[in-house]
Amino acid sequence: MDSSLKQKAINIRKNILKIANSSKGPHTGTALSCVDMLTVLYFKVLHVDSFSDENRDIFILSKGHGAMALYATLYERGYLKEDEFFSYYQNGGKLPAHLDRDTNEAIEVSSGSLGHGLPQALGFAYSKKLKNLDSKVYVLMGDGETQEGSVWEAAMLAPKMGLSNLTVLVDRNNLQGYGRPSELVSFESLDEKFKSFNWDVFRVDGHNLKEIEKALHTMSNKPKAIICDTVKGKGVSFMEDELKWHYYIVTDEFLKQGCEELERSL
Amino acid sequence: MRNSAAKKIFEYCKKNRDGFLISGDAGFGVWEEFQKELPKQYINTGINEAAMSGLAAGLALSGHKVFIYNIIPFLLMRNYEQVRVDIAYQNLPIVFVGIGSGITYAPAGMTHYSVEDITVAKSLPNMNIISPSDPVQVKKALDFAINSSNPTFIRISRSGEPTLFDDNIDITKPLHVKEGKDRVIVFHGSIVDEVLKASEKLDDVAIVSMPFISPFDEKEVKNMFEKYKKVYVVEEHFEEGGLGTILSDFAMKNRIDTNIQKIAIKNQYIHDIGDCSYLREKLGIDAKSIVKRVKHG
Repeated sequence: MDSSLKQKAINIRKNILKIANSSKGPHTGTALSCVDMLTVLYFKVLHVDSFSDENRDIFILSKGHGAMALYATLYERGYLKEDEFFSYYQNGGKLPAHLDRDTNEAIEVSSGSLGHGLPQALGFAYSKKLKNLDSKVYVLMGDGETQEGSVWEAAMLAPKMGLSNLTVLVDRNNLQGYGRPSELVSFESLDEKFKSFNWDVFRVDGHNLKEIEKALHTMSNKPKAIICDTVKGKGVSFMEDELKWHYYIVTDEFLKQGCEELERSL
Repeated sequence: MRNSAAKKIFEYCKKNRDGFLISGDAGFGVWEEFQKELPKQYINTGINEAAMSGLAAGLALSGHKVFIYNIIPFLLMRNYEQVRVDIAYQNLPIVFVGIGSGITYAPAGMTHYSVEDITVAKSLPNMNIISPSDPVQVKKALDFAINSSNPTFIRISRSGEPTLFDDNIDITKPLHVKEGKDRVIVFHGSIVDEVLKASEKLDDVAIVSMPFISPFDEKEVKNMFEKYKKVYVVEEHFEEGGLGTILSDFAMKNRIDTNIQKIAIKNQYIHDIGDCSYLREKLGIDAKSIVKRVKHG
């Protein structure tokens, strides 16, 4: 894996910390958790010539509270301007805490309430099949999000609709708003659950860029689920696997420490 | 009315390849021809209202004109939050065709009645709400919904209702069925038969059909308030949150001094068992009750 891709992931994480600091808002751990998946998607996988192109790939961030990660990725990719990006969460700003598709053409779907991304992805994917388009649809959801019934309604429907152009990535950090999914519900094995719904399933290290890319590029004739084992708060030692970083504010001191750690990690 | 809706949707989808029909496992005897003729523009998603709504949103975001057909509680209520976030918030021009308005599914029971659906739909900004009373109004409602860039909820009853209006009507306006003097009955939807029956015994009372619940023609409604001293709103819906409430709010906002009386179902869970006519009588919205309220209320 080239170091430039790793550098992009670091830039994205640093920018997340910056807007988390300026906004004094929550969900920093959530955002850091899914950065590597987003990096691979936006720099190695998604084909988007224009957001008005019907045959573009579609990406849906279903865990809408991870919005900072998507904004930082879109900024790194050049889809968001600097003033837009740094207006996150500010009064009169351009980017809200959860996704609103009215804010930018790169935001395909509004989200924030969990369990909405996959059902909508079915519509996008089915439309592509009907129009014989070869582009694809990707959804990133949280592992806590898989507790929503709508996820399994859609999971049951997708294979029957022949949606081989649909891929779900699950950010499996085993830490949600107020506990661990593995302790709250009968969570695992997520692989087996998707398999039993007739999906092709991959399980990868969700921070290994190479593994993520390989799973994303593997051909499949069924809908595909990639369970990505991740660490919430990844990249900043004092945030890693800590519930409180679902909520804590990134102070100036935390920002300095976090950025220094990230710079050292390349 | 159901067949009029089915015919119109079929015609649209046959002419327009972007047309797409979703059934949430409803429509026995209604969609067989559609399925046979246009299999690529139809899906029965099964019993999964959340996924059904999301799928509709994804298709609409991809440029399809989507119609969703289901029994009203499973069209707007079970999946309220999906309708709110995926469809109304994103302002997608999806057409919700809901059947079993009011208590027309009696004696199916409370789970299958839709007596609070207008309240629910009205809570969603962007949503058009149309409650037609005959096959012509259904056809006109669909014409409007097809051309609208907003989502539209069309609440219809079942099938077999007689045609009452001619093809030249403009359903965006209140429609005078009968002129009168100082008092007017305003109604929408399936209660039409009880209203017309009551009308026979209320000579000087005007009768107005108002299928457009939201948005409505404000100027015409103001004219109606000016013309009549007393306005009775008759609806097969809860009395709190239906058209009566909407018109009262409108009068209040516009400082119109008018006397609005609601003849509707008191907000309650209905445990009585019986067919639609029996329940209407029990709930005080049959022709006899309407006459009594208008004569003495």
